[in-house]
Amino acid sequence: MGDTESTERGPGGLAGRVRGITDFAREHPRVRRGLIAGPPTTFLVLFFALPILTMLVISFRAGDINGPFTLDNYTNFLTSDTYRTVLWRTLLVTVQVTAVVTVVGYALAYSIVRFSRRTTLLLLLVILPFWTSYIIRMYAWINILQSGGVLDSTLLLLNVIDQPIGVLYSQTAVLVGFTYVWLPLAVLPFYASLSNMDPDLIEAAKDLGAGPLKAFLTVTLPTTLDGVVTGVILVFIPTFGSFITPRLLGGTDNIMIGMVIENQFKSAFNYPFGAAIGIVISAVVVVLLVLGARVGAGNLQGSDGQ
Amino acid sequence: MSLLDGALLPVERFLQQHGERLAQVVTVAVFAFLWLPIGVLVVMSFAAGGVLSFPPQELTLRWYGVFLSNDTAIQAIGLTLRISVVATLVTVTLSTLIAYTVDRFAFRGRSLIQLLATLPIVVPLVVTGVALVLFFGTVDLGSSYWEIVVAHVVRTIPFATLVIIPTFLTFDRGLEEASKDLGADELQTFLQVTLPNVFPGILAGGLLAFTISFNEFVFTYFVKGSGQSTLPVYIWDQIRYNVTPEVNVISVVFLLVAVSMVLVAVSLTRVDLIARR
Repeated sequence: MGDTESTERGPGGLAGRVRGITDFAREHPRVRRGLIAGPPTTFLVLFFALPILTMLVISFRAGDINGPFTLDNYTNFLTSDTYRTVLWRTLLVTVQVTAVVTVVGYALAYSIVRFSRRTTLLLLLVILPFWTSYIIRMYAWINILQSGGVLDSTLLLLNVIDQPIGVLYSQTAVLVGFTYVWLPLAVLPFYASLSNMDPDLIEAAKDLGAGPLKAFLTVTLPTTLDGVVTGVILVFIPTFGSFITPRLLGGTDNIMIGMVIENQFKSAFNYPFGAAIGIVISAVVVVLLVLGARVGAGNLQGSDGQ
Repeated sequence: MSLLDGALLPVERFLQQHGERLAQVVTVAVFAFLWLPIGVLVVMSFAAGGVLSFPPQELTLRWYGVFLSNDTAIQAIGLTLRISVVATLVTVTLSTLIAYTVDRFAFRGRSLIQLLATLPIVVPLVVTGVALVLFFGTVDLGSSYWEIVVAHVVRTIPFATLVIIPTFLTFDRGLEEASKDLGADELQTFLQVTLPNVFPGILAGGLLAFTISFNEFVFTYFVKGSGQSTLPVYIWDQIRYNVTPEVNVISVVFLLVAVSMVLVAVSLTRVDLIARR
């Protein structure tokens, strides 16, 4: 309303001034570009790139964020048997989770794309659980897996077991929890690449004498490999860095590397050491991403060069 | 090869005959897995006897009452909303600018912006969370509230951008030309032609950003000052130190918020757009 008034007041009003700026911007493409691309770029450089850089610098400090520069954090981490074990276990759990999620998620996406009519509804039912709080979803599994919880009660009721088994605080619990949270995330890219695929290719393979399995292995899977790689990456990265699931479901024998970082920040207060571990796991992720991207790119060149 | 084919023959025959049935079994089983825990939460929120009594002997609304009279939880919801709403508005503005940049400009910085907007998805959450704490330790924003908001914006920008960019790319630019031919200036054209056309995408991106921010835990957990609890942080503390059936109630509240947000978002945009990279 105030704007309308100022328009009537002529070039000195707010609208006039805005018009002056837009006119100036139109005549100076660089200025216009700066006004539009500038704010988000500034924000991301300032609050994403710079913090990561800060972390990199601090990871070389001794003991305190203002301590002298040293390589000790990295050498201590990489030469410690304890941390190597944790890193190895993290990698192992992550690979297991990624494998399970990929197989189950791909099977689901395939079933939906090939055999279902109400695909949008089904896809919605897959992603809805994903948009609820991560912590809540873990809490649901605590309810189910704890000793005397829903699983135990049900199995006792059905006379499958005669005393509570309490799956909570085990590696199984961690695997179940991770599978549960990442399954929807992986189904999306699997679904996207499967539904983009030309179904005639499968018919062609079958006309040439391939059975369903052979058609799947020689046509469907290679054609959708880039979607598979995307799904694998989307599951691998958050699992590798997670501390919530192992903390809530894993118990003391199932420590993962994300928990060690959390510990350094929330109880040990050794920020440079925590930062160094963060850099190490980021490096692992970057290396795997580059490898993954290469597989994806190789596949694209192999298919139709899209 | 033919030996392998021979060994696979029974499998091929099975799939030929029962492939569709198998797919249905897989679909039902996975959906049961995905929805069972949510069903458990809903049922348990009405269980009189608390967490360790399944199936519940008696159903009650008691824990809903406890939740509604719990000041700490209500305050946590208030703070969560104050953060999510502001973070969403900032995210939507920045993501729209990114989408506009990616759609309209061809200059060297363009791919850098796209990379910067996507990278927060790629870096493990705990790493970015820790990096933000360390950064705010050196550069103090002066208020823990704004630090959390900024952290949430970093978290939500990639998702909002991913949803908003396609609506810019599919928008018919001819309409803008028409508007300008009819005498509208650049700003008028953007406000009256471009914005209404891309608005559903922007709204969908905003709703997703809101949902993510409302549920955000890792960044908040690291960045927050003492005594500041968003709802997810409050639940984390409850689960770790003092589980009461009230947590089930809060979970149901969370679910309802998330479900309604996603339903609105999905009605405004195509689900598979979100699925695409």
